[in-house]
Amino acid sequence: MAVTELSVAAPASRSVEASQRRTGWFLTAPALVLMGLILLGPVLVALVLSFTDYALGNPGFNWVGLENYEKLLTRSTYEKMFLATFTYVVTVVPISVGLGLGAALLITSVGRFRDLYKTIYFLPVMATLLAMAIAWEFMLHPTIGMVNRMLETGCGTILESIWPFMAKGCEGGFPLWLGDQRYAIWVVCFVGIWQGFGFNMVLYLAGLTSVHRELYHAAEMDGAKSAWERFRLVTWPALGPTTVFVVTISCIRAFQVFDTIEAFWPQGAGPNKSAYVMMFAIFEKGVQQNLIGIGSAITVVFLAFVMFLTLIQRWLVERKVHYG
Amino acid sequence: MADLHIDGVVKSFGETPVLKGISLDIQHGEFIALVGPSGCGKSTLLRIIAGLETQTAGDIVIAGRSVAGVRAADRNLSMVFQSYALYPHLSVADNIAVPLRMRTLGAAQRLPLVGRWMPGAAERNRDIAAKVRNAARTLEIEPLLERKPGQLSGGQRQRVALGRALVREPAAFLLDEPLSNLDAKLRVQTRGEIAELHRRLGATFIYVTHDQVEAMTMSTRIAVMMEGQILQCDAPDIVYEDPEDIRVAEFIGSPKINILPADLRGGALRLLDRDVARLARVADQDGIRMGLRPEALRLSGADAVLTGIVAHHENLGSEIYAQIEVPGLAERVVLRADPAARARLGLGSAVGLDFDICDALLFDRSGKRLRPVIEAARAAHQVA
Amino acid sequence: MIRDWWKHLILILGAVIVIAPFYMMLSYSLKSPGEIDRGEGGFFGRQEMMVDERCVALRDPNRDEVEAAAERFPGLTDRAVRDALIAEAEAECAMRPAVFNYTMAFTQAPLLRYLLNGVIVTVSIFVIQVLVALPAAYALAKLRFWGRETVFALVLFCLLIPVHAIALPLYIMLAKLGLTNTYAALVVPWTISVFGIFLMRQFFMTVPDDLIDAARMDGMTELSIVWRVMLPTAVPALLAFAIFSVVAHWNDYFWPRIVVTGSRELFTPPLGLREFKGDGDGSFFGPMMATATVIVCPLIVAFLLAQKRFIEGITLSGMK
Repeated sequence: MAVTELSVAAPASRSVEASQRRTGWFLTAPALVLMGLILLGPVLVALVLSFTDYALGNPGFNWVGLENYEKLLTRSTYEKMFLATFTYVVTVVPISVGLGLGAALLITSVGRFRDLYKTIYFLPVMATLLAMAIAWEFMLHPTIGMVNRMLETGCGTILESIWPFMAKGCEGGFPLWLGDQRYAIWVVCFVGIWQGFGFNMVLYLAGLTSVHRELYHAAEMDGAKSAWERFRLVTWPALGPTTVFVVTISCIRAFQVFDTIEAFWPQGAGPNKSAYVMMFAIFEKGVQQNLIGIGSAITVVFLAFVMFLTLIQRWLVERKVHYG
Repeated sequence: MADLHIDGVVKSFGETPVLKGISLDIQHGEFIALVGPSGCGKSTLLRIIAGLETQTAGDIVIAGRSVAGVRAADRNLSMVFQSYALYPHLSVADNIAVPLRMRTLGAAQRLPLVGRWMPGAAERNRDIAAKVRNAARTLEIEPLLERKPGQLSGGQRQRVALGRALVREPAAFLLDEPLSNLDAKLRVQTRGEIAELHRRLGATFIYVTHDQVEAMTMSTRIAVMMEGQILQCDAPDIVYEDPEDIRVAEFIGSPKINILPADLRGGALRLLDRDVARLARVADQDGIRMGLRPEALRLSGADAVLTGIVAHHENLGSEIYAQIEVPGLAERVVLRADPAARARLGLGSAVGLDFDICDALLFDRSGKRLRPVIEAARAAHQVA
Repeated sequence: MIRDWWKHLILILGAVIVIAPFYMMLSYSLKSPGEIDRGEGGFFGRQEMMVDERCVALRDPNRDEVEAAAERFPGLTDRAVRDALIAEAEAECAMRPAVFNYTMAFTQAPLLRYLLNGVIVTVSIFVIQVLVALPAAYALAKLRFWGRETVFALVLFCLLIPVHAIALPLYIMLAKLGLTNTYAALVVPWTISVFGIFLMRQFFMTVPDDLIDAARMDGMTELSIVWRVMLPTAVPALLAFAIFSVVAHWNDYFWPRIVVTGSRELFTPPLGLREFKGDGDGSFFGPMMATATVIVCPLIVAFLLAQKRFIEGITLSGMK
């Protein structure tokens, strides 16, 4: 066990600093090696390969300069990729953060059943997304799925007259959901929100407990009478750091969406590639089609987005710490 | 500005009674200190007046109207919290402006970003800014207006809290131990400033504190509270010189009043087996407790009523406090003397103490004040 | 309390939507294909005996079997004998839908094996993560050595790199080494958890230095300090980290999908489920839902039993 220390026989020729230095490097060595091999190395590999036309199994490759990046910016497939990815992120993040906050506020303000609601809302976070995606896929089946069946029960009732969507559906059949280009990406967004807002809720619940109670009393004395005013004056500002964290985590997870899309459409990422998100593109181009060059280019762009987001979060938190 | 009446307020938390029937009439412009040991219910009473807690029974009447069922935001009162409760994300100016914004701006005008362009908003905002500046000037915090609470010292934060309270003109100011988080020196300085503020504004102040010095120095009337009841509410000098209850006498005054056991037999007041006075209008009884303030005792000769040895003394420069061990008394007697008497109060010196019976406060066994008529008194000896 | 009713209404509505797929998954795992198609039978299904068509088809009698069985049915034509045999097969192949679904789940594919893989992979990942992260966190928190700040800066930088993002180059590297379709491929990329190092470091910084100095005076080597002194104090943080790690890797689909393409023996539970789905046979929906239920169950049950711990864990790691 005493690999780090010299034997006791060796006299005080080593100082405390030297021994701490040796130990320090020894203890961090495995982590450093792994960081280099598993995290930093691949980033460089991706960067390098993005300038080539490499394919696995080929003995060599050619340098193609910025050709891959050019493709990303011009080809319509990649336009769809960016569109799908951003649609997903811009939809899922605000809504899942908002729902998480709303659920946390509601749960904090009711007197009973809090733990029950917390548990239920957190279940989707724990469940294997692939499994639940398949469950949702079946629920959205055009004829035998629960969703359309339930909508059908609304036919012939008052809903039909007040809700145009219902009226159209009762007449001509309800949407195909996953088979319909207009709805596909929104269904994916819905599943993403369904799965993620519980996690945000838990983080907000923790943040809410750290708000000073006296501030609410001060707000009352100052004339803040409605829940909305109390929220604006006390709650929302106090949740600042929590919100930054929640939004960043949600963004990074949203960028990495894959399971739902591959479950719904094993090939093709939705009708007319309407759900062709970046992770799926990397998978399809890089792994399935063995186009490592373009796959690496997408990887590099993806990494750039994620790093940018996290850096912004850090910068925002730094600012608050110094001026808070 | 208005009168405030507290009418038979009772408050219990579950089974535990905290306030057992409080009634008090507060005139407009008074500075009332609610003083008492921790747990006596004074903060609870303040919060009930404010509307942040609801009483179990009783009523609060402000300006002739009962405020039962009226929420705190509508009672037209201002409160300074012990922890100041400043909004950490707002600047000092914005903190002070909050009560005005809430009450004078409409909902549309208060919207973030767009609110200031709503019709009428600009003028009101100018108004508010002027009032904020005034308040800041009164409290000498104008240079701090753009800072955030996190960048201020404790004393500065306290002034901002005061500013937020006085920027409106409420019916009364409620202050909940506002000085307890300050260091001793700052406390003394701020005490004077708050008292002066009160004089300048002429407003009603209801001030909660556990520090009887604050109460004595700042208020027009002190309400001494213990165990959920007001024992006495009078001007400071009356509470000091003419307490109704022994608990009041013991709580007010520093150092604490000396309590000596005495008996009344056949009209003669006996202390340590000596007759010290003849009294009338009070029944004979045992277990009388005689209160003598340290300044009521005088050094006298060996023939004095109380004789003993100096066990401890504290020379404060302007006066000396000496603790005398008197045989027959369980507790030491504390004497206040001039610095000139230093020589006679060396440790271990034998001293004799006398007092004028008119200066003695007599309480019966249950603590109620006795007010006898003094027929004959043993004359107080001169200071040697 | 009464004023809260509208809040409860909203929360209940939300809960219904949240639970809907779980309800459906569990319910359909108990129903027969007919019930699934028609959407009937309540939650548990009517559990009428159903006939497993495949089982019957497997036992479809050929010529020899018909002749051999003719003795048992004297006086009947071949055709009638055949019908009788089929009827027998149907009787033997009849079972309750729930039983059918779950049996299929475990027999059509080696679900137990997949679950075992899930356990092996998750546990290996967590153990190695701890082995790598704890000493590093200790060194960064408590030891003073030249380069410490640089190492920590490196850790912070690596926090910006999600492993899924670099899946492609990792895959290429593994492929070049011939390591695809191995346990190593499933485990190795996750062994470095910078998040774990960060979390543990924050925790270790709160341990008083005196404790460590005392251990040194007692003759402990630095390595044993890590395991005997620091580890016990960090149990809550470790628990939180464990929850994070296990949940993330049990449910991970993307990485195994890339790296395990050939051998079924290596499938993790999500891959097993997908294999089921790939069969595409509509009437196999019941067993597929049964598989999904089995995969989702362990974590859900663990969560229900230890909710407070889970939620505390997420909160702890979240607030850094």
